[in-house]
Amino acid sequence: MSRFIILILSNILCMACLFPLSVCAQEIVSESVIDTPAQEENRLWESVKKTWKDDIQFHGFLSQGLFSSSGNNVYGKSKDSVSAGLTEVGLNVSYQALNNLSFSAQGLYRRAGANTGDAGEATLDFAFFDLNVLNFQGARIGIRGGRIKNPWGLYNETRDVAFTHPTIFLPLAYFERSRTLYLASDGGQLYADYNTSIGDFSFKFNYGWMNADDKELLTAIISDPTASGHLESDPSFVTQLSYEILGGEYVFALSYADLKMRYQAENAGDPYAKMKTEVDTFIISGQYNGEKLSFAGEYSLQWNRFTDIRFGMPDNFPVSEHWYVQAGYRILDNLQTTLRYDSTVQNKNDRYGKGVEAATGGMVPGHLFYAQDIVFGLRWDMTPSWMVRAEYHRVHGASTISLLDNPDPTQIAKNWNIYALQVAFRF
Amino acid sequence: MIFYFINKDMPQNRLSISTLLLCITLLLNVQVLNATEVIVNTNTVGQLKDIHELRTIFSLRTLYWSNSERIKVFVLPDDNIVHKAFVKEKLGMFPHQLRRTWDRMTYTGTGQPPVTVDSIAEMIDKIKHTENAIGYIDRRIEDESVHYFDTQ
Repeated sequence: MSRFIILILSNILCMACLFPLSVCAQEIVSESVIDTPAQEENRLWESVKKTWKDDIQFHGFLSQGLFSSSGNNVYGKSKDSVSAGLTEVGLNVSYQALNNLSFSAQGLYRRAGANTGDAGEATLDFAFFDLNVLNFQGARIGIRGGRIKNPWGLYNETRDVAFTHPTIFLPLAYFERSRTLYLASDGGQLYADYNTSIGDFSFKFNYGWMNADDKELLTAIISDPTASGHLESDPSFVTQLSYEILGGEYVFALSYADLKMRYQAENAGDPYAKMKTEVDTFIISGQYNGEKLSFAGEYSLQWNRFTDIRFGMPDNFPVSEHWYVQAGYRILDNLQTTLRYDSTVQNKNDRYGKGVEAATGGMVPGHLFYAQDIVFGLRWDMTPSWMVRAEYHRVHGASTISLLDNPDPTQIAKNWNIYALQVAFRF
Repeated sequence: MIFYFINKDMPQNRLSISTLLLCITLLLNVQVLNATEVIVNTNTVGQLKDIHELRTIFSLRTLYWSNSERIKVFVLPDDNIVHKAFVKEKLGMFPHQLRRTWDRMTYTGTGQPPVTVDSIAEMIDKIKHTENAIGYIDRRIEDESVHYFDTQ
């Protein structure tokens, strides 16, 4: 199935690359009939330039973070040291082929601590066609096919683009360890927009295969970094309904996801061969974007089903809860402060991991199952293209840390600090 | 005195006329000087109805004119004073709200953001020469190929 998807994606990309050529060719043919060769050459250049400038756009972003922490590592070896472990670079192209048909694709390079290694990883972030099927007065309905970003909460679709979220670290609900799982769907999206005088509605429904092949995610589920297999996604969906008033001064959204995945063994006799996981989850979001003041809050519940993990290990159905409240104030148009209180628990019925700690005789500490984070950040948009920001985190608990950056569970600190600095560019 | 200084190379009779014209223009424009004006290309005149539609056009939620042609939106940079004034006065929004919407579309591939021009002169040039275009400037100018949208 994955080969099939790769084939579809590569075909879409080829089409996207070839389409502008055919359009240019058409324009040249129709105009060369009446023009002299010199004019023809001029027109040819003008038409190429026009097509290039009007219908094709390139955009991109890059960011580099610097981290220092006490107690635990974030994005590399930041504990009592400094790590430059988070680099994000993206480049995208979009082509408006017809009035109602467009193509777009984005490549992403990312280096994020031990999970990607020092060399980092390059991925195809999205690549799809977008067909606007129906257009009414104030409303439109369309479909997208290929690899499409998942609409989840306020920030998931652009989570790797530093400019689009107020702090360097996203709220804890956007778990770093399930990042790849939530990122995009290989499949299709149905979308609908409806604009009214009392506000604008948007609906998106993604159906397809997620990218479950992530070492961090697998390690978090089976607590065994030596497993040789990997996780594979089964057909899943993510959907979102959002409502915006006064052009986004007030934003409300409800997102729901049903994500299914299973363990794919590499060797016969792999103890995890039958493991399956299903995650049902919603997140409800509210945001106010005033001239000076801004507020945001999100609440999420997540029903997890870990079944047939390994012989002798009982099935596990924890319900996780994440929420945060965030306030921002613009001292100047380009200088903004942010304050956030953030909370996450892995199991609502064992909020502080006491049950696991008792069952393992203290081998697995309880603070691996929750985190509370107070964040203070300052962001300065030097120009529309350049931004720099700094933030401080006081963290209680460690459920969100990377187990690859912090391999020894007995060494994980309960109360710790993070200091972070980031420079970002976009065009 | 100031006018004389600026126009000292001009013949005296033309100076008095230009001074008079300038004074009249300034007086007439006292209230308009700080207001921004929405301008559209000739072929789209009469297709824009109200401020809500204007907001949805600049938020890229309305993509087509009523004649089904795709709208071409031109803007000045986020930190440009005319841009800030336009967004507040004409859209009843703040520049960071528009940026949030445009960024989400740009970096998810679901829409192309407006084309950013560097100056008022470039804006006028683009609107004049691009069919289905819409943009804004800081004051009314006399030009037959630029048309204004009057918000009530």
